[in-house]
Amino acid sequence: MTDATVAIETSPAPTPKQKVWDAPVRIVHWLLVFCVAFSWWTAEINEMQWHYWSGLTIMGLLVFRVYWGFAGSETARFSRFVKGPGAIAGYMRKLLKPNYRATFGHNPLGALSVIAILLALAVQVCLGLIAGDTDGINSGPLNPYVNYELGADAADLHEDLFPFLLIPIGLHIAAIIFYLVAKRINLVGPMITGSRKAGDVEGPPAGIAAVPVWRFLLGVVIAVGTVWLILWLPTIR
Amino acid sequence: MKIKLFAATAVLVLGLAACGGEPPAPAPAPAAPVAEAPPPEPAPVATASVGETPADPVAFMKTRHDNYKDLGKNFKLMSDNNKLPAPDMAAVTAAAAKVKEYAGQMGTWFPPGTGPEAGETKAKAIVWTERADFDAKLADLQTEVDKLVTAAGTDAAAFKAQFGPTGGKCKACHDKFREEEKK
Repeated sequence: MTDATVAIETSPAPTPKQKVWDAPVRIVHWLLVFCVAFSWWTAEINEMQWHYWSGLTIMGLLVFRVYWGFAGSETARFSRFVKGPGAIAGYMRKLLKPNYRATFGHNPLGALSVIAILLALAVQVCLGLIAGDTDGINSGPLNPYVNYELGADAADLHEDLFPFLLIPIGLHIAAIIFYLVAKRINLVGPMITGSRKAGDVEGPPAGIAAVPVWRFLLGVVIAVGTVWLILWLPTIR
Repeated sequence: MKIKLFAATAVLVLGLAACGGEPPAPAPAPAAPVAEAPPPEPAPVATASVGETPADPVAFMKTRHDNYKDLGKNFKLMSDNNKLPAPDMAAVTAAAAKVKEYAGQMGTWFPPGTGPEAGETKAKAIVWTERADFDAKLADLQTEVDKLVTAAGTDAAAFKAQFGPTGGKCKACHDKFREEEKK
């Protein structure tokens, strides 16, 4: 990864890199991309057993990401990137100026799309957990806790609310294209490699500090444990 | 490297755009809640043969729908029990018997004049034009349901082993003969 951003002024050839995203953030991001697409596709072709496991995987990823929002590296933390209306307005004014410099981590506006996508996914996961089809064949793991009608209504909502997940995802992609075209900033590269050229960007030149491995492992235990709990609960009903 | 990253960007954006571009299913009008405090047993449709159009097709189709719904409820009961280490085998056996009863009648549920042209139904018109395949799939279902009834009378393990294959026969027919959109 040598050229995620295009410096405005000429800079010396060997440019130091700024680490912006830790590995768990990137892995969760791309697994979510895959699982959301896979969930949509398996629902389209009515392969509901695959949809079931894909949805549970998304649940585990969400649990991990929320935990990581408190325990992860600097740019992963909600407290670091979720900002109020004032900061968002200030950012938008800054964005239109020619001397704009790429934000270190999520910018205040992009933070809204992160929160919107996480919330929409959480709503979909909750509905999917209790959803049941009208045939009584395919159902989410917690469907035994609800009656036929509620399960069927949850399944209908699960389907009807899908566009509300696509809206923030669409805005997120539109923003990526905007930065690429209008600002000449490639945001996808750093989400793959974790780093970008530490030229004309905000934040400490070295970027984020390393996070102890135990914190990552604890998050994996919490996420897997939550999925296990969801699967285990209906067996002791 | 830069080109690679740009290519990756393009592929991802296109991939996501392709997913996002799928037109969402039209939001259906909220279905009128079927208020049935103690669920009444829908009257089984047993009289009309494959050949005769019923006198009141809409009422006939409503009963058909109610029968499928009751079938779904019996299946949900079995599905719920399928998730338990110790299923309630008495309830499972009763539900399996009910499913067998419905499966036995199902061949009479689709007489001429009760398709999408007659009113609200998820049954596709090919139920009537590809009747031989419909009947073959129904025969498959009946075979598996017979096994399910036997399995439910045997033990929990036998029931659990037979539940999935039975549902698979329901799905095989739904995939071909039932509309996806809620109508």
